[in-house]
This record gives sequence, C-alpha cells and structure tokens, in this order.
Amino acid sequence: MTISVAQSVINYILSTSFLVKGTTIIYDFIGGEPLLKINLISEIMDYAVNEMKKSNLGLKFKIRITTNGILYNNSKVQSFIQKYHDHLIISISIDGTKKKNDLNRVFKNGKGSYDSIISNVYLWHSQFPFIGTRMTISHDDIPFVYESVKHLISLGIKKIDVNPVLENVWQEGDEVIYEEQLMNIADYIIDNDLYFDKELDLTCFDEYIGKPLGKKDMINPCGSMFLSVDSLGRFYTCMRFAKYSLRSKKPRIIGDIHNGIDKNKLRPLYALDLQSLYTSECFFCEVATGCKWCPAENYDSSSTGTIYERSVATCNMHKARVRAKNYYWNKIYQKNKWIE
Amino acid sequence: MVQYLVILLDDTSVSYCHCNNPYKEHRLISLDDLRNGILYAMKENLMIQFVYPDYDLPEEYKEKIESIDHHNIVSSLYFDKLMFEESDVVVFQDWSSVSNYDFEPGKAYVIKTTKTDLFDRYCSLKEILGKVDRLNVVITDVEKFTDGDFESYKKVLSELSAEIEKLYVAGKSPQLNLLTDRMMLSEMNNCGAGETNITLAPNGKFYVCPAFYYENEADSVGDLDKGLDIKNKQLYRLDHAPICRHCDAWQCKRCIWLNRKTTLEVNTPSHEQCVIAHLERNASRELLNSIRKHGTFLPEQDEIEKIDYLDPFDKRADWQ
Ligand code: SF4
Ligand code: SF4
Repeated sequence: MTISVAQSVINYILSTSFLVKGTTIIYDFIGGEPLLKINLISEIMDYAVNEMKKSNLGLKFKIRITTNGILYNNSKVQSFIQKYHDHLIISISIDGTKKKNDLNRVFKNGKGSYDSIISNVYLWHSQFPFIGTRMTISHDDIPFVYESVKHLISLGIKKIDVNPVLENVWQEGDEVIYEEQLMNIADYIIDNDLYFDKELDLTCFDEYIGKPLGKKDMINPCGSMFLSVDSLGRFYTCMRFAKYSLRSKKPRIIGDIHNGIDKNKLRPLYALDLQSLYTSECFFCEVATGCKWCPAENYDSSSTGTIYERSVATCNMHKARVRAKNYYWNKIYQKNKWIE
Repeated sequence: MVQYLVILLDDTSVSYCHCNNPYKEHRLISLDDLRNGILYAMKENLMIQFVYPDYDLPEEYKEKIESIDHHNIVSSLYFDKLMFEESDVVVFQDWSSVSNYDFEPGKAYVIKTTKTDLFDRYCSLKEILGKVDRLNVVITDVEKFTDGDFESYKKVLSELSAEIEKLYVAGKSPQLNLLTDRMMLSEMNNCGAGETNITLAPNGKFYVCPAFYYENEADSVGDLDKGLDIKNKQLYRLDHAPICRHCDAWQCKRCIWLNRKTTLEVNTPSHEQCVIAHLERNASRELLNSIRKHGTFLPEQDEIEKIDYLDPFDKRADWQ
C-alpha cells in the first residue's frame, strides 16, 4: 500500500459519518508480516492521528498488530511501540514449543524461527503483559496442542486462544486426538492447581461453549464489522474476502477509495441471523454455542457464493472441545466438592 | 414448493420483469425440450406459463403448446393474431407503443419502464386504468433510485391513487400492482422465483427465473435430463430472508435477481427495493382508507398500519 492510498482511506473514513459516529477507530495492520513495513505503519498512524485531531470528532483509536515476532526488538519497531504504547494491541503468534514452531515457521534457509523470537516474546510479554496469543491449529498441529499450551503457560502467557482453522482440513480421527490433547491440558491445569489463577484464560474451556443456542447467540460471530482495505484501496468487510485469502470464489469487494462503500453490500452482513443461516441440524444442535464460523469461510466454501451457507467443517472438532470442556469443569467440581 | 414452470420458447422471448433480455438472435427451444418440459410439468403438477418471441411459431410447436393447460405471456408486438387472442399477459417493453394501443379487459398488461420514463409519462396510465382489469408497472432500474426519485415516486403514486379512487367510486375495480395489490393481501405474495416457480430456457436447462438465464447461461439449476437441482434452495424462502421476514410490504416482488445484483445475496434486498415497496405500501394504505370513506370496501381486510420507516433494515434493532 502506498502512503497516498492510506491517506485517502483515512480521509474517506473521517468524512463518512456512519463509519465514525461515536466510535473508537481500530487501525488493524495485517497481511504478510506487518513489522516489515514499520516505517509505512508509522507514517500512516502519524497522518491518521493528525487528521483525527483536525476533525474534532473526539475520536479514540487503537492500533492492532499481529506479528511473527522476529522484528519485534528492532529499534524502529521499539520506538513505534514507545510512541503508541497506550493505543497498541500487539500480539505475537507463537506456535507453541520449539518443535511445533519450527515445523510451521521456517526461514528461507530452512532454519526454524523459534530461537530468534523467544527472547522477543519475553520482551513483548514485559511490555504487554495482559495481551494473549492465538494458537491456530490445523491437521498436522493436533498432536502438539498439549505441549504447546503448556509451553505458552511456562512463558507466562495467560490468555491463550486455541483455534482449529475453519477450513475443511480435518481428517477422520482428528477429533479424537484433539479431545485427548485438550483433556491433557485440563489435567495439567487441574493437577497443578493452575485454575486458581484468575488471569489464566484458556478459551477452549470457556463455560459458555457447548449449549443450545439462545437469543443472545443470534449475532454475527465477528462481533463487529470492520472496514478492510487492500493495497489498491479496495474495501471489504474483512480481508478474508480479498482475493489472496479466498480459495475459489471471486473477491467480495464492497467499494473503494474513489467511490466509497456501497451500503447495499453491507446489508447481508448486518442482517444475517442464525435462522437465515443455519440448517435445522445446527439450529437445534444441543452443543451449538461457541461453534465458530465466519461469513468469509461460509462464502468460500459455499456451493452458490453465499455467506448464508453455514460451513460445518469444524463440527466434530467443536464437539470434541465441548467434551473436553465438560471433562475440565467436572474434574474441577469433583476435586473441590468436599470443600462445599 | 414449485407450482409454476415458465417456459421461454425462444432466446428473444419477451422479458416481462425487472431485467431486460439481452438476446437479439432467435434460438427456438427444441421440440424435444418443449415436449419434455411439458411432460416434466405434468409429472410435477406444475402450471405452465409460455413466454413468446415476437415471431410466429411453427405449427408443430403450437400444437404441442395447445396439448396442455397453460398461460401465454406475449409481447405487445407479437405477430400472430390468433395466438394473441389467446394471450393472458401482454408486455410492453417500453412506452413507445402504449399510447396507440387498443387495451381491452380480460387480459393483464405489463408496462416496463425506467424511472425517468415513469415520472414523465405516468399520466397516461390514468386513462389506461379506465380500460383494463389489471395493469402491472415494472420498473427496470430500481437500483438507481435516489432520494429525489423516491419523492417523485411518492407523488406519482399519490396521483395514480386519486385516479383509482375515482374509478372505484364509479363502480370499476381495475387493479394496479403498485397500489391495489397490498390492499387485497393478507400475507406475503412475492415473485417466488426459485421457490414457487422456475424457468425452463431454450437450452433445455432450468433457471431460477429468466433474469438468471439472461445474465449468465452457466447459472442453471438443473436440466430436463437430470431434473431440478437448486443449491441452497432454502435461501429463496421467506423464512430464510432476514429482512423480508420482518416486513409487511406484502405486494413487494422481493426480486431475488435484484437482490443478488445489488447485495450479492439472493435473500437480502437493497435499500432501494425496500423503500420503493414501502412507498407503495403506504400509498395503498392511504388509498384503502380513502375508498372506505365512500362505503364498505374489502371488509374482510384489516387496516394497513401506519409505520414510521421505509426500509425494514433500519428497524433491525427491534427484531430480536
Ligand atoms: S426474481 Fe422474480 S421479480 Fe426478479 S426478475 Fe426474476 S422473476 Fe422478476
Ligand atoms: S420491502 Fe424489502 S424487506 Fe419488504 S419484502 Fe420487499 S424487499 Fe423484502
């Protein structure tokens, strides 16, 4: 992205009332490794902050960056962090143990990246102790889930979001291994009394998951809609609708910096409700809450190019997670029942 | 459940709905496909609507068509006088031949128009309404309506409404889709493409509606050999339409094709379609109230409620 495209995007956002009304703007830099472009990010943010001030809209802002951590200790990155620390939500994606990390993340010379990032992880954790990490797992990663989570906990990371990818990469039996791995994590946490630590937050054991759908669950899973912009200034509701993220479908563009947003193209996302989206199997599923889905993955995997065809690729993985979560809470209860 | 089969007899068959037919070259459906299409309709219990090109069909086609109960949709320029007598719906592609046309009762007429033409020429509808039983006005550029156009449309509806009121008081009861349908409905009555009706094109394949064929021949939903195969067919139903499900503009066509064109989803309408339909709904409400001032009228129908929005999407916070 050039600085002039970025400036046009900021100008458009600040002059479009329905985008900024009473909101905090979150500037989220994704796509490739963002820290490689720290100079550009810095220039964009300086411009954005200046323009937000000039606009007198009283806007607050956050900057979100997810990095592989390799450049984290770079001096330019560090001065950016110092300048915007209070606005930054920066997370390093670590794929767990050295073995697992080096399986997925290798340099061009074939060497794994773990050793290069681990000291940066400590630095990051000291600068942003309350920010967690997201562990995205695919078929090959399942046997390492337990070791990886244990490792992250040993690094002092307390918020860990374990997420099977939503794409259909799963093979028969994956759910059995996944369930075992999660139960091992449960045993580790309970046997070592780590569950007394209120800051430890493992989303895989969230109490709310695995229940029938209630009215509150009738919401878009993304929580809110983001305006995403590609390097050419084309708008999407999420970068997963951009060409480089999609496997087979056409990019789903909702406008661009020259013509603005076509509001009609936002309507399906805002109107989407579970009754329109779900088949009866999902709608009446007894363990439906917390079963993740995403409009863009629906779109990409659908038979007709619609966000309204619920992708169910993770159904078995979700059910495995629900069983492990039930085990976790029952084990805690059994261990503590004599106290009550 | 599918109840109607629309058979496009030729690529140049008249387009009777929101889309325009881009085909200029004749391509007549094969006699085999016609025969099999009729057979399919018989086996599936479907009522057939044949859609004609401008030119005279070969005799063997006419014979085949006559072998089954059906409705005929023809162009106002249709060539064959005899078949014309048999037509149920006559379609005007634009206003060029409307003024000299000999309208008669007993048929339904469709006038396709752009918004600009409608705003310029709607006065001539007043006269036509005095002659016909049913007139459908179909706007072909719904998606281009601006806020100013909504105002103009409101004015058009109000003037036409006054004319209809006069006619009803005088004992006539012409129907104009834009104004009288909503008065007489007690539930949604949409176009039903993909749900209650499907289209057989001259290539022997099924489409959700003619517009889907005109736009992209590869967009078929089955064929005569393998049968109908509508993927995600629940999305054509009202219960899977997240905005329309909450709406009472029951006369709205809920055009599936326009939905896909404007919002990329067949079950989600554009702002323009909703506002237009609500201006019609509200004008129907006024009309119903006005006619009732002259005496009992449609006593079995409830009043149409006053509402404070023109696009149900704006009320989505109230849906939960
Ligand atoms: S979807 Fe229905 S209203 Fe729309 S063009 Fe097709 S037939 Fe007409
Ligand atoms: S007015 Fe809008 S919400 Fe209502 S039926 Fe028509 S398209 Fe659907």
